Amino acid sequence: MIALTAVTKSFGARPLLAGVDLAIGRAETFGLIGTAGSGKSVLAKILCRLIAPDAGSVRVDAAQVGMLFQNNALFDFMTVGDNVAFPLVRQAQLHGEEIRARVAERLRAVGLAGSEEKYPNELSGGMKKRAALARAVIARPPVCIFDEPTAGLDPVTTSKIYDLLRAERDATGATVVVISSDVEALRSFAPRIGMLHDGRLRYDGDAGAIADSDDPVVRQFVRGALEGPL
Amino acid sequence: MKALQLAFEGLGSAALALFDEAGGMALLAWRVLVGLLTLKLDWRELVRSLYKMGVQSLPIVALTAFFTGGIMVIQSGIFIRRFGAYGLLGFGAGYATLREVGPILIGLMFSGRVGANNAAELGTMTVTEQLDGLRALAIEPIGFLIVPRVVAMMIALFCLVVLGNVVAIAGGALFGKLLLNVELSSFFHSFADNLKPWDLMIGLVKAAVFGLAISITSCHFGTSVKGGAVGVGRAVNNAVVAAAVAIMISDNLITMVLR
Repeated sequence: MIALTAVTKSFGARPLLAGVDLAIGRAETFGLIGTAGSGKSVLAKILCRLIAPDAGSVRVDAAQVGMLFQNNALFDFMTVGDNVAFPLVRQAQLHGEEIRARVAERLRAVGLAGSEEKYPNELSGGMKKRAALARAVIARPPVCIFDEPTAGLDPVTTSKIYDLLRAERDATGATVVVISSDVEALRSFAPRIGMLHDGRLRYDGDAGAIADSDDPVVRQFVRGALEGPL
Repeated sequence: MKALQLAFEGLGSAALALFDEAGGMALLAWRVLVGLLTLKLDWRELVRSLYKMGVQSLPIVALTAFFTGGIMVIQSGIFIRRFGAYGLLGFGAGYATLREVGPILIGLMFSGRVGANNAAELGTMTVTEQLDGLRALAIEPIGFLIVPRVVAMMIALFCLVVLGNVVAIAGGALFGKLLLNVELSSFFHSFADNLKPWDLMIGLVKAAVFGLAISITSCHFGTSVKGGAVGVGRAVNNAVVAAAVAIMISDNLITMVLR
């Protein structure tokens, strides 16, 4: 479904990705962690075809990729309803009434029923995140990438967001990539986790075993220890 | 020797940065042209932009134009009185307003109000990943956001200059009556008998070119923002300065060519 081979990407003289190899199967859920600035979001944008790699090959077997951006990326000149409807309107395959019904259903699913006429600046951080999630999945894309879906949210809202992601994944059977710095929450969601560090995947394997990894960098990051190579 | 080398390095990097921005603007203008020719523009965004950029600018443009007409009369009043050339007041005020002062002042006002706002809006959309959000949905921001705004700014500034000219002439006539006791009919006869359609046309050509310059600079700096809120502020500043420079240079060129 997703295959990256020897992907490299530099910004100026700084190499961010230095040969990333990754394969994710259909309907698989993959969690990606890493220190700030390790290139997680850049990798997500490469998967989404927003950034081209300098070298290496990228294969994503999906005509459409749903993306939840770190900053939500809600269009602030549109209402929440128009934002969520946007992917469907642009596809022009559904009629207005069907689109409105789908938007209402999606907003209800993320706990924002009746928010159609509000603008993004009228929503709290958690509500924006849920509205962005509704927009990312409304067209039922076969591949979904969620970049920091819980950044800056309180623990209760974080649990709610992961419940929503779980429900969405189970309902659609989509391939899901979640990027997060919240290792604990991610471990309960993704059975397989990778850690990006120094431009490469330092760990790619079972989420349950990551805390006991042989790699001291991975172990320190996951355990949040102050002593170590990081 | 070291200071000379540093000076040349500074000059070189400034020239490179200038050509980099100019190239970016030329590329954007080309993409807009291609988008226009292939009709790849979002009509809803065009209507929304026309309302926001044109209709909502009406009050401030009308106010500016009214007092511009007045200033034309106040400044020329000294000579009108000295030479008793009351019959030339309408011609003098109209000539300067239609050909030069109207388009320039309304263009600069438009740049400050609409161009700055556009650069800030696009800049904020860039740093908050909204443009990436569009691309992720397979929508090219050029057709969805940029082409409609460029077209809207050109149409809006053109219409605002037409309206501004009317208001400025009316303001000039009113000030002429109040300050110099020139009859309104005399003012308008002087205006209509001495000015040609070409005088109006030159101003309108300038309005369209200024609209293009303001839209391309504001869209370019808005969409190439780097560095968060500070970057947005810098983009707005650059957009307004570049638009003012472009207005002055293009005004000179048009005036020389279309005399």
